[in-house]
Amino acid sequence: MTNPEESNGIGGRPEAPPLPEMPLDVTKSHVAAEFKHEVALTTCRIDPTGRYAFAGAEDFNVYRWEIDGAAESKTIFKGHNSWVRCVDFSPNGELLFTAGYDDHIGIWNTADAEPKPIAMIEAHKGWVRWVRVSPDGKLLASCGNDNLIKVWNLPDGTLLREFAGHERYPYAVVFHPDGKRLASFDLMGVLREWDLESGKQLRSLEAKFMWGFDQKFRADMGGARDMCFSDDGKTLAVAGLTEVTNAFAGVHKPMILLVDWDKAEPQHKFKVDSYKGMAWGVRFHPDGFVMGVGAPQSGNKGAVWFWKPGEEKAFHTVTLTHCGRGLDLTPDCRRFAVAQFDGSLRVYQMTDKAS
Amino acid sequence: MRRDIGCNRMDHAVSRRSFLGASAAGSAVVGGLLTAAQAEQVRSGQKRILQIFLQGGVSQFESWDPKPGTRLGGPFRSISTAVPGMEICELLPHTAQRMDKLSIVRSINLKTNSHRVGQLRMEKGRIAGEYPYVGSVGAKYFTPPDARLPGFIHISTRGITDNTNAFLPAQHAQLKLEGVKAPSNLVRSDKLSEEAAKRRDEFRRRLSERFSASRPGQKAYTEAFESSFTLADRLISQKSLFEAEPSAKDVERYGSHPFGLRCILARELLMNGGTCVKVTHHGYDTHAENFNFHLEQLGEFDHTFCMLLDDLADAGMLESTLVLVHSEFGRTPKINQRYGRDHWGASCSMAMGGCGIVPGAIVGATNKEGTAVSEREVASGHLFHTYFSALGLDTASDHDIPGKSIPIGDPAAAPIEELLA
Amino acid sequence: MSPSRTSAVHGLPLPALVVLLACAVAAADGPPPPPLPEDFVVSQVSPPLHPQIDELISTASPGFADHAADVCPDAEFIRRVYLDLAGTIPSAEVTRAFLADATPSALKRQQLINRLLASPQHARRMQYVFDEMLMERRPGTTIPVAEWQNWLRQAFLDNKPWNQLVQELLAADGVDKEKRPAAKFYLDRNFDVDLITRDVGRVFLGVDLECAQCHDHPSIDGYLQRHYYGITAFLKRSYLFTDPKSKQKVLGEKAEGDVKFTSVFTQEEGATPPRLLNLPAIVDPEGTEKQYEVKPDGKNRGVPKYSRRLQLAGAMISADNIDFRRNIVNRLWAMMMGRGLVEPLDLRHADNPPSHPKVLNLLADEFLSHDYDVRWLLRELALSEAYQRGSRTQTKSDAAATDYASALLKSLSAEQLAWSLMEASGVTTQTLAAQQAALLKSDPKNGPAKKDDPLWQDDVLHKALKPHVDQFALQFAHQGGQKTGFESTANQALFLINGSLVQGWLTPANNNLTDRLRKLDDNAAVAEELYVSLLNRIPTGDEIAEVTTYLDAVSERDPAIQEIVWAVLASAEFRFNH
Repeated sequence: MTNPEESNGIGGRPEAPPLPEMPLDVTKSHVAAEFKHEVALTTCRIDPTGRYAFAGAEDFNVYRWEIDGAAESKTIFKGHNSWVRCVDFSPNGELLFTAGYDDHIGIWNTADAEPKPIAMIEAHKGWVRWVRVSPDGKLLASCGNDNLIKVWNLPDGTLLREFAGHERYPYAVVFHPDGKRLASFDLMGVLREWDLESGKQLRSLEAKFMWGFDQKFRADMGGARDMCFSDDGKTLAVAGLTEVTNAFAGVHKPMILLVDWDKAEPQHKFKVDSYKGMAWGVRFHPDGFVMGVGAPQSGNKGAVWFWKPGEEKAFHTVTLTHCGRGLDLTPDCRRFAVAQFDGSLRVYQMTDKAS
Repeated sequence: MRRDIGCNRMDHAVSRRSFLGASAAGSAVVGGLLTAAQAEQVRSGQKRILQIFLQGGVSQFESWDPKPGTRLGGPFRSISTAVPGMEICELLPHTAQRMDKLSIVRSINLKTNSHRVGQLRMEKGRIAGEYPYVGSVGAKYFTPPDARLPGFIHISTRGITDNTNAFLPAQHAQLKLEGVKAPSNLVRSDKLSEEAAKRRDEFRRRLSERFSASRPGQKAYTEAFESSFTLADRLISQKSLFEAEPSAKDVERYGSHPFGLRCILARELLMNGGTCVKVTHHGYDTHAENFNFHLEQLGEFDHTFCMLLDDLADAGMLESTLVLVHSEFGRTPKINQRYGRDHWGASCSMAMGGCGIVPGAIVGATNKEGTAVSEREVASGHLFHTYFSALGLDTASDHDIPGKSIPIGDPAAAPIEELLA
Repeated sequence: MSPSRTSAVHGLPLPALVVLLACAVAAADGPPPPPLPEDFVVSQVSPPLHPQIDELISTASPGFADHAADVCPDAEFIRRVYLDLAGTIPSAEVTRAFLADATPSALKRQQLINRLLASPQHARRMQYVFDEMLMERRPGTTIPVAEWQNWLRQAFLDNKPWNQLVQELLAADGVDKEKRPAAKFYLDRNFDVDLITRDVGRVFLGVDLECAQCHDHPSIDGYLQRHYYGITAFLKRSYLFTDPKSKQKVLGEKAEGDVKFTSVFTQEEGATPPRLLNLPAIVDPEGTEKQYEVKPDGKNRGVPKYSRRLQLAGAMISADNIDFRRNIVNRLWAMMMGRGLVEPLDLRHADNPPSHPKVLNLLADEFLSHDYDVRWLLRELALSEAYQRGSRTQTKSDAAATDYASALLKSLSAEQLAWSLMEASGVTTQTLAAQQAALLKSDPKNGPAKKDDPLWQDDVLHKALKPHVDQFALQFAHQGGQKTGFESTANQALFLINGSLVQGWLTPANNNLTDRLRKLDDNAAVAEELYVSLLNRIPTGDEIAEVTTYLDAVSERDPAIQEIVWAVLASAEFRFNH
């Protein structure tokens, strides 16, 4: 891949250069770009156009880089008064939505040169842990530490619905691709399905293996650290933990759960037995495999795992230079981005290097 | 796993006290109605200590010394309190409303990051060595002669069986209750009548006294042994207190979780002859997920603690009860890769109030980012002096024990005068 | 070294001993005293240790002779030495025989000591003591308790030298089936390197390096960060490995990896090769890095060509390692005397020196020259005047600080208390009788001989009565390091007052103590049987009167008897070793 700086000397390009059409081979994944920030990152996303990579950080800001641009493309989205651990976009990528631990949802223009929030909705009493935009872009779902799932009208940001029922913090909420239902997953491993039209809860599933109660420290540990549906809506993936043995020391194993959505049953449980740590991100790849990103309990060996459903072991693992805290795919699914604890956002290309 | 350190025992005559045999099962005090016995206790001016130990190291950032919006401050905000100018972390909304009854010390430097050492320093008010814990010192000086309960009761589940009394008489050692479970073996067998129990115990006592008298140079052990029987008798006489189920109303207010139930029991003990009661709340040692866990743990603590504080205040007992809330250290400014904070004794906080303590005060400060004490650094010795000065002792003077000259407080420290009413 | 043969009886030359015996034989009217036990050892190598101990003790404090107590009476001695060496009080029968034995006191005590040291009960007692010392009553995780305890007990039956035992513990990897119990020290700490570093320091060297993990100890000058990490360096390359075939946890070891540390106070960095405290560092031989017998992978535990963990075992037991033997002799001294020469037992440093440094050094040196023979040392300690003095004293002398002018009261451990109560109340005798009856039925051929085999008896009694012992451990023991001292909680008192276990033992049945007592009409006889069974002594006239008064005052005799039995066993004289 050519160095953008070399090609135009300015740094930052308005359009992504055409990539050489190497065949996809995840085992050849290599770092294609790296962006540095001084503060630990909390999440990362790539916008629907594939132009930008976004990351939340522990300094309350959200950062944007051009994936094919230079480090100087770094742009600060300042507006929240606490951490942002989840962002989403309108389907065309024009709007950015940020879920803040300051009780607010931020709405922004994705591509602004000097971004300021268009609106800050006081969304929950307590952390807003997750936001997702509906497939048709007309609704926004959020969940928060008030145990509520809320659905907002877009673009005006008025409240449409509230779903109550989670007894402990819901960590993530996502729209089903059919746009009619929501799925949410809480600290206790309870998955709930909600019907947007009727406002009622439909089904629920207890995934207690993704939760642990530490008897010694008297605390619950669990929750979805990432969640997404497959494009066909048949499967739901949840990233989190399992086999908690010491909650306060963070001793547990990462797990990616795949739920058969028709049956509302666990379908596959990807666990990394030899790895002490947490799964912080999960994505479906159209080529039929599932990806997860993880952070170890201690040390630097963050990882990206690649599984084929039905197989117990990952068929490939990419070792990161530090804990992985977020994962997203580019729209063409040939590259992925990871957000790391050391503040770097790294973009990997899942092909051989161009010669 | 912790270890017991062998302790010094002092030569001291244990005088057995008579105790009220009558039942004195207290009922909940809601709205300030005390039983006659309780009211008498309050009038008599008995002093007490309520000690809440937040085991594991509560994060000062997430409690008494928030640094919102700073580099290491974490995601929580601060909220205003009943005291103008005083802000604490948003995780303590109920406590915030009652800060006009409490004061905060923000400049504690314990010079250790070890659970065990931090705990011992906070309890003993000394850097090292064999000294009695807060509760045992309180038991020694404030247990009335006719006390119906052991002077120092600790409601906890796990943890070391500490010898908390050091050189003070064994009767002032902590009686550790396993949560709110009544001590086992409180009930006599049917086959043993009250009369028979009494006379066989008298016989036992006579034999023990004779043995003790025959080894006059080694009284510490024999008196400790005898004292355990005295304490046992008191517990037997008070078994209704331990066996009573908390009322539905209390459970609703305090919460049905273990900390809630323990605070209900603590209240009952304080109102029915207890002198020093310590409740441990697990756990705060959040090396991972510090923020999620503090949400949980302080969420539990906040409301329950306030109910207990309210009930003591309503009963008119707050003026005579020293209230302490502390940990064995705080947590690191640096947030680690597990979203956790690690041990940090260099700049931590505690809250205190009640008997003899100026309410609504803030003592000391940490720097902007909370990485060090910036003003009025204190050690556990200063805190210890403060507690007992507030209760009316001259902490520079020696303990009231024959044959030994040991100052009550660390001579290298002194009371925090700003906190003394 | 004196060339003449001396006996273990207070340094008397052997010929003199024979003369003494001959006189005793000639003087006695009764049958001749029993011959010396076979294992009665005459020290040939050097003067016996115990007179040297006594000499140092008496010269350590001015005016010592003025207030030194006399040697205790026989009744106190038999109870004390039984508890210390056999872990229980003696039966009434044994007590009476000892008291009645006309053999000169010094000799019969010596014989008793030899008998006890050779008994299976002694090995069991040492199993309890060393289990607590090594594993600190932590809940088990890996090696089954029974296997570990049997291994320990066998070590003491064999009188395995201490250095050998420790070598086996520290070199263990858990692979070999027979040696696997020795791996408990490591495996049941989940091979937590920090925990083991600290415990190795405390248990084997007598130093608690906990704070030194993060910085040089703030208040103890002798504990440095590099001391802590010097031990860690032996251990850091080892790791827990679950064998995929056997599913057992064992230890593997890498052939690379070094230890660095940073002070959290000064931020200074340091590094250290494996090193025990201030002994020379043990540097890896050249060319051994990354060299394996078996390379570590998913299926195989790593076995390096050069093992740092084995070096730890060797370095620990080396004759150069003075701390190692000082620590063990201190602990054995504490077990017998009621207080260590260094207290707490794991906190020796420049500002906490031994109370009697010459004694400590003497014990350590002699222990080395006797090849770490634990039984030898215990015998010498038991023979000393320091051990045998009475505990009645006017001057204050307690576990806080003592010059050993009189014996210290010692707390009974949970196990000593349990076994003593069961012995006194008759549970032990009844259980043994039942086991013997069962054996005769099930094995009529070998049974008659086997039922009198002390080893078999100890084995079946412990199997049968372990649940009771465990209950006492729950009530009276605490998790944590071995320590001297005494604590008594209200819960323990309640256990004795109202607990159904002990109350049940008072119910008269099958000729147990309360049953035997109620069959006696004469109150004086009741008092005598009571005191001999429970307190191993003859009651005084006042005490007999006291019992009589009590029994006369209560209308129902049976309950009254149970009440006084309870009163005695719940009293201070029973509770302590004195």
